[in-house]
Amino acid sequence: MKRVFIHLVLVASLISGMTLPSCKNKKTDTTNTTTMDTTNTAPVEIATDDQLTNGVKDATKDFPGVTATVNNGEVTLTGNIKRDRLPTLMQSIQALHPKKVNNNLTIEP
Amino acid sequence: MALQQKYQELINAAKTSEVQNLQVREQNNVLYIDGEASSGAVKDNLWNIYNKIDPDFRAGDLVLNVNVKAASGTKAKVVTKESNLNIRKGPGTDQPIVGKAAHNEIVTVLNQTSQQWWLIKTDSGAEGYAYSQYLSPTA
Repeated sequence: MKRVFIHLVLVASLISGMTLPSCKNKKTDTTNTTTMDTTNTAPVEIATDDQLTNGVKDATKDFPGVTATVNNGEVTLTGNIKRDRLPTLMQSIQALHPKKVNNNLTIEP
Repeated sequence: MALQQKYQELINAAKTSEVQNLQVREQNNVLYIDGEASSGAVKDNLWNIYNKIDPDFRAGDLVLNVNVKAASGTKAKVVTKESNLNIRKGPGTDQPIVGKAAHNEIVTVLNQTSQQWWLIKTDSGAEGYAYSQYLSPTA
């Protein structure tokens, strides 16, 4: 029984020794320019469908030809928009913390 | 990782323009880039690169959420297409309009109440909430 306990302590200290330094490194890695960009591994916050529905109402108010529907975190845009107005709309929509934005708009030059 | 390669130019630009609290995360085949830019110009530049890599934002594989940080008292330009910007009593398009700011007018940001709605004041004294998309901080 005692030996089992010692084994457990050994394994536990090994695990903590391995994981803790790597956690620290992740936070401070800002100079690396390769693909080590996932510095923060916290899951992405996705707004609820109610929050998104409220948000897209404000965001599309000045776009009478555009309809936005919300389903399970995804915002789908349909209708018509002029190309020079598209970035403004997309900026507003993507700031609402959607899971994904499906742009099915017909874009007019 | 493939998405980070696709949008590498955008990620690099965010780094070199010193976007604060930059987070680059990939989840269920969507890349999420979050952070705070120091000015509207920095944000516009990132969106121009996004539009170049993914023309008309069709791919649905990136959610770019870089908002502009504006301290209380920061000046911001009204960047509506051509119309006036509504100033409302509260944060929401269902709130009554209490004033207007002209296209290209410079207003003062009092408080970034939420990412979408900022409390602003015009030089003529109108005070209330405006939709942040139409405000470009000039810091």
